[in-house]
Amino acid sequence: MITYILRRLLYTIPIVIGVLLLTFFLFTVVGGDISQQIAGKNADAQTIAEIRHEYGFDKPLFWSLDSQFLDHFKKALTFNFGRALDREKISEKILRGVGPSLSLTAPMFFGTLAISISLSLLVAFARGTWLDVTVVVLCVAGMSIPYLSFIIFGQYFFAYKIGAFPIMYMPEQSMTYSLALPILIGIAAGLGANLRFYRTVMLDEMRSDYVRTAFAKGLSTPKVLFKHVLKNAMIPIITNVVLVIPFLVLGSFLLERFFGIPGLGSLMIEAFASRDYFIINAMTFIFALLICFFTVLTDICYALVDPRIQFE
Amino acid sequence: MKKIFRIFNCLSVSALIVGFGGLLFCISCGKQDSDKERQKVIRLPMLTKIQTLDCGNLTDVYSISIASQIFEPLYDYHYLKRPYEIVPLTAEGMPEISEDHLVYTIRIKKGIYFQDDPCFPEGKGRELKADDFVYAIKRIANIKFVSQRWVDWNGRVVGLDEFREFTKSFDKELDVDYSVEVEGLKALNDYTLQLKLVKPWPQLQWNLATVVTSPVAREAVEYYDKEIMYHPVGTGPYKLKIWQQGFFIELERNEKWRTEVYPSEGEPADLEQGYLADAGKPIPFADRAVYRVIEEFQPAWLMFLRGELDVMQVFKDNFSQAVDPATLTATAEMKDRGIRLIIYDDPSIFWVGFNMQDPTLGKNPPLRKAISRAINRQAAVDLFFNGIHKIAYGYLPPGLEEYDPSIVHTDYSKYDPDEARLLLREAEAIHGSSIPSLTMAIPGTGNLDRQMGQFMQKYLADVGLDLKIEYMDWPTYLDELNKGKLQMFFSGASPSIPDSLDMLLAFCSWNWGYGGNHFFYSNPEFDALFRKAEVMFPSPQRTAICRKLERIMLEDYPAAFINHRVAITIVHDWYRNAKPSAFSYNTLKYRSVDPDKRNAYKDLLKELKKKKK
Repeated sequence: MITYILRRLLYTIPIVIGVLLLTFFLFTVVGGDISQQIAGKNADAQTIAEIRHEYGFDKPLFWSLDSQFLDHFKKALTFNFGRALDREKISEKILRGVGPSLSLTAPMFFGTLAISISLSLLVAFARGTWLDVTVVVLCVAGMSIPYLSFIIFGQYFFAYKIGAFPIMYMPEQSMTYSLALPILIGIAAGLGANLRFYRTVMLDEMRSDYVRTAFAKGLSTPKVLFKHVLKNAMIPIITNVVLVIPFLVLGSFLLERFFGIPGLGSLMIEAFASRDYFIINAMTFIFALLICFFTVLTDICYALVDPRIQFE
Repeated sequence: MKKIFRIFNCLSVSALIVGFGGLLFCISCGKQDSDKERQKVIRLPMLTKIQTLDCGNLTDVYSISIASQIFEPLYDYHYLKRPYEIVPLTAEGMPEISEDHLVYTIRIKKGIYFQDDPCFPEGKGRELKADDFVYAIKRIANIKFVSQRWVDWNGRVVGLDEFREFTKSFDKELDVDYSVEVEGLKALNDYTLQLKLVKPWPQLQWNLATVVTSPVAREAVEYYDKEIMYHPVGTGPYKLKIWQQGFFIELERNEKWRTEVYPSEGEPADLEQGYLADAGKPIPFADRAVYRVIEEFQPAWLMFLRGELDVMQVFKDNFSQAVDPATLTATAEMKDRGIRLIIYDDPSIFWVGFNMQDPTLGKNPPLRKAISRAINRQAAVDLFFNGIHKIAYGYLPPGLEEYDPSIVHTDYSKYDPDEARLLLREAEAIHGSSIPSLTMAIPGTGNLDRQMGQFMQKYLADVGLDLKIEYMDWPTYLDELNKGKLQMFFSGASPSIPDSLDMLLAFCSWNWGYGGNHFFYSNPEFDALFRKAEVMFPSPQRTAICRKLERIMLEDYPAAFINHRVAITIVHDWYRNAKPSAFSYNTLKYRSVDPDKRNAYKDLLKELKKKKK
């Protein structure tokens, strides 16, 4: 198993190098020199030259020991991403945003997962009944409503009209209180698609012979559903779940923006809007690492839940 | 089926218990905190995050508006008087100016202290000295500091440019030897500052009233180094308490601030509007100020309606709910809530600019004039600005001393499609064929930007011109604008000081591109007259020259000027002394809130709800 994990981790090295090459090509070679943008609207040539020097834009692109190319790799591999356009340390920006982003997305993720898997088992078991039809109709409706509408309606109705929640995140109030509404909105908005997916997965399992055999042997419904069906449905669930985890770190841009949550979603969007390639580079690299790690983790999980899969 | 319901019931009940418990926990947490409601706290929204609080490098309005409460320059704008009048702030009086207008001697008030900060010995702020002003300006000149505000000082002060050259030999900002003397920038003693100018600089008084020229404690810069942008150490009435970057800023009263009082004089209408009710009372009034960065409209508007913000701007989205267009007052719904409007001219100008170096537009005055004649400005104002903004008949906006009221009788901004068609025939003769498709760049990709693009296309199509629109993100737009790559562009400007030359500079030929002349306009007569005006002190002659400069430029049609902004602010009745100012930002110390009225607002809302039922 350890050999397998090590081998899989080694496979990630070319992927990470590929990502670094791509980001260097996109943001340094194609994106070009952004010193004028940093210097401001009416900056003189001297100031622009100084900024080029400060950010290293005056260094050779490739063929030198202090080239921008090597610097790009060095920064990423040492996790010392330097400073953003606003001169704040990128690592500090990222560390500051991870907490609020995860506080928002982790409960949303687990909430959506727990509810959608539980309900999907139920509706799969009750397929064809009014319960199944109602849930499917609600799921399709939920999938058809834009995410933004959930936010606008939720904020207006639950926060403003009813007054049960704050309209925006208030630093003077507890994080739990401020995050409750965006988490609930996130769960509600994500439920439709997830429930539909897991229902399909569960239905496939329900039609299997072993389920009929289990019922024929007189096993109770909860035992059949939770011990046998759920376990056998784990492969697609793991694929869907584990690979979503890296995205949790990125936060939820719309929820963060509407509820004033100081997370990484806003940081990424702001970086794109202001062409802050330093932040985009850093975030892309971290995200690539997370994707690689969780892909390996997914493979390990497959083998753990399904004895037929071997570490080879 | 029974089994299904049993399982379903179990799950539902568990989920409900967990959910309801969590909800109660959340709400109780909130309630506990809301009990801590504080007194005299001003709550304000910000449309975008602030970049820095390093006063030597402030450029955006939002950063300036926060920093201005913490730092204090030598001079200030009188809070109530209009036209804007400069008054001493940390200076003892107005500058003593030599007869040749080249030497300024400024005495500084004694007994002004920096706020307490760990950068000072034992954390106690020391007294402000003339050297702190010298240091602040030298720091802007220091090329290793890379200040975006050097442009204000470039070529102005004797020896300062040489000092900038000298700083090039150092590696870092803090390595620079500031003891090197600059002839034109000296502290004669602890309380006297002297500035020697290369040539007369009438705008210097305005520059000395901007927060950028505030004194800087060298100890703070050395203590915090690059982190100084997050640790402002000033002499102002407020100090930074919390800054959650990008989301939240809280300022608290600087207990060490000297005693100053609210002004007793103002405009004639100020008494009636209640702006003089606090005359003679010690300032600042508020204990704290909380700024929330709210980039989306809905949360800001809902927070305002719930009384969690004291003030906000009226935008297109809340206009119909907030403003009665017939009377330009608050709607009945707003009045019932005790909400009122403040409407004022916000000096600004928006235009469709022409690149004068473009082969199609640059050599074809009738074409530029035809485009100007084709645009229905009144329709634009009605459609995009609720009919509130003013049509721009010229370039200089109302609110500036040099604004010429007779400009409304000119035809530079006339909408006349028939004349536009005739001009187009002339333009085609000059061009040698029919006019090809034109391209206009609009910074932004939102709905409003697209609607503006479609509006321009429609009106130009009416006279037979084909217009393509390129919607760009701001950095791309700025880059192409500066490099002269845009044929036509939608843009705007607001003066940073109450001086028209600040705006007219955008048409000087030495300012092409990065300097701010994005029209790439050049007119020797304009340039010569500008050179004459820039060394003149305010006088009727100078005003006449500014107006002439405007007319010279308008005759050449480097742009079709569209509208001047009229700002509408909406405020709760507990928010007092909210007189708007276009140029002064350190106004927080004059603002006040009535906590009793604010606390009664929730009851008022309940009452209104009952009445409605």
